[in-house]
Amino acid sequence: MKKSLWFTLFVAAFLITGCAKKTIEIEAPEGSAPTTQEQAIEVNEGSGIKSVGEMSEESMTQEEKLRQMKMIESQAKKIYFDFDKYNIRPDQMPRVEYDAQLFNKPEAKPFGIKVEGNCDEWGTDEYNYALGLKRAKSVKDALAARGVDPKRMSIISYGESNPVCTEHTKECWAKNRRVEFELIP
Amino acid sequence: MRSLILLVCTTLFLFASDMTLEIVKDVGNLPKIAIEVSPGSITGKIGQKFSKLLLGDLEVTSHFDALPSVHIAELSAPIDYAKYKDTAYLLRYKLFYDDFGNLEAKAVVYDIKTGQPLLQKLYRLRDKERYPFIAHKIVYDLNEALHFPDVAFLKSFVIFAKYTGPKRSDIVLSDYTLTYQKTIIHGGLNIFPKWANKEQRAFYYTDMQGRPTLYRVDIYKGIRTKILSGAGMLVCSDVSEDGSKLLLTMAPEAQPDIYEYNLYTHALRRVTRYPGIDVNGNYIEEGSRVVFVSDRLGNPTIFAKKIGSTAVERIVYHGKNNSALNSYGHYIVYSSRETDNAFGPNTFNLYLTSTTSDYIRRLTANGVNIFPRFSSDGETVLFIKEFKRQTGLGVIRLKYNKSYVFPLYTGKIQSIDW
Repeated sequence: MKKSLWFTLFVAAFLITGCAKKTIEIEAPEGSAPTTQEQAIEVNEGSGIKSVGEMSEESMTQEEKLRQMKMIESQAKKIYFDFDKYNIRPDQMPRVEYDAQLFNKPEAKPFGIKVEGNCDEWGTDEYNYALGLKRAKSVKDALAARGVDPKRMSIISYGESNPVCTEHTKECWAKNRRVEFELIP
Repeated sequence: MRSLILLVCTTLFLFASDMTLEIVKDVGNLPKIAIEVSPGSITGKIGQKFSKLLLGDLEVTSHFDALPSVHIAELSAPIDYAKYKDTAYLLRYKLFYDDFGNLEAKAVVYDIKTGQPLLQKLYRLRDKERYPFIAHKIVYDLNEALHFPDVAFLKSFVIFAKYTGPKRSDIVLSDYTLTYQKTIIHGGLNIFPKWANKEQRAFYYTDMQGRPTLYRVDIYKGIRTKILSGAGMLVCSDVSEDGSKLLLTMAPEAQPDIYEYNLYTHALRRVTRYPGIDVNGNYIEEGSRVVFVSDRLGNPTIFAKKIGSTAVERIVYHGKNNSALNSYGHYIVYSSRETDNAFGPNTFNLYLTSTTSDYIRRLTANGVNIFPRFSSDGETVLFIKEFKRQTGLGVIRLKYNKSYVFPLYTGKIQSIDW
């Protein structure tokens, strides 16, 4: 009896201490594939929205350019002419010199120049428009002679269609017989 | 003796056919015509203007002496022979709207001597704003019924450009009195309209927005077609009789000259080559030559040349500043500035001359008379007159030596064609 008891205890001890640690393998369930990464859809809505007043660098440059163009244009001096004439008077030459220097400045050089001829109300028909054109040409030629690139300049006549004043006075007529400039980007 | 009579008769005939001489047709005893309006006729603005238009049209034909007072009477009322004992004709009319809103005019013209109606017609218009054309048609039909010389100019259109602001000008179509006006081209600077044909179905004009561009507009289809564009200046000054060629003022190198453009071959031919100003070319003598305005002698005046030839003939020797010409056959009407006042108002008078005679006939006496235009039969000249701050529309009946001016409230006209 004592022998069997010791034998049983010996076997139990052997069983308990003799078991190596078991790794438990969990088998994957049958039939499932290994996981792959899904294609993401780019969501653009809401992107790139700018607050009002916030401008891109390019737009800022454009507006600055236009502002500069208008500023130069406002500094240009009009050239005035005698009744029925399209030659430039001697007293107008300093104004032509000034305009040539203005248009030759580096900040003015990116712009084209529209040379606009105008007349007073005393002309008739086509002759008036042609007179305006010849006035514009006289000024263009004078500017070209002072170094303004002729390729930058275009000319047009507005005849009596663009008066700066409408009173029937000699002062007003003199103001309308003119060439003026519009810069083009 | 017989040859002397023949010589005198031939000479008289030659003189009588030259409008540049001051031959006045015997207009001393024009038949008097009275106007009566039905009491049921439309009153208000249209009613008042209608009777004035009738009176104006009758006068302008130079075939009638229209009594200025318009009396009231029913269309079928008995004629007051005592009141009209010196009157040849009585025109009665009634202007009204029909049940569908159309404007109608019933007109009856009586020969007072016989008491019989010469003309009895009913006219209808859908668009009441075109009422001036009813008045013109009544007088035209009466003139036809009496077999008087043709007055088709009463029914013709005028096309003009009107300034609406700085660098802004609309093209407007109107009747010859400029009472009815319909804007055809609006927006931008649109100038120098020119009828493309005698039927007045299309016109050319220049759009100055950007590069000057010549367009043709069909007024019944409302279609605009680009013809060509050019730098500086581009104006259609005249159209050949068959409508195939245009005389243009162009300035490709900022040098205004006359060019001829063939609408079918698109060939552009330079006509003048002077380095000053050459503008306003018009065909004369059945298109064999061109008259134009040039400042080649220091001041603008009128010259003529054959296309393709270098020879230039001076046409006008009087006056210091002659421009704004218009031609018909061998006749030329132009505006001459007779003062050189840079500091005050100037006088522009109209003159008529011919390439086949040395005579010049002055057509106006004072004021600023500009934009002379011949009617399609060459017997009448339309023009604009500015005098003492007022603007008027002028009509000159050349063979009758009569001139009429009607007040105009249209604003500043840039150019006109008839």
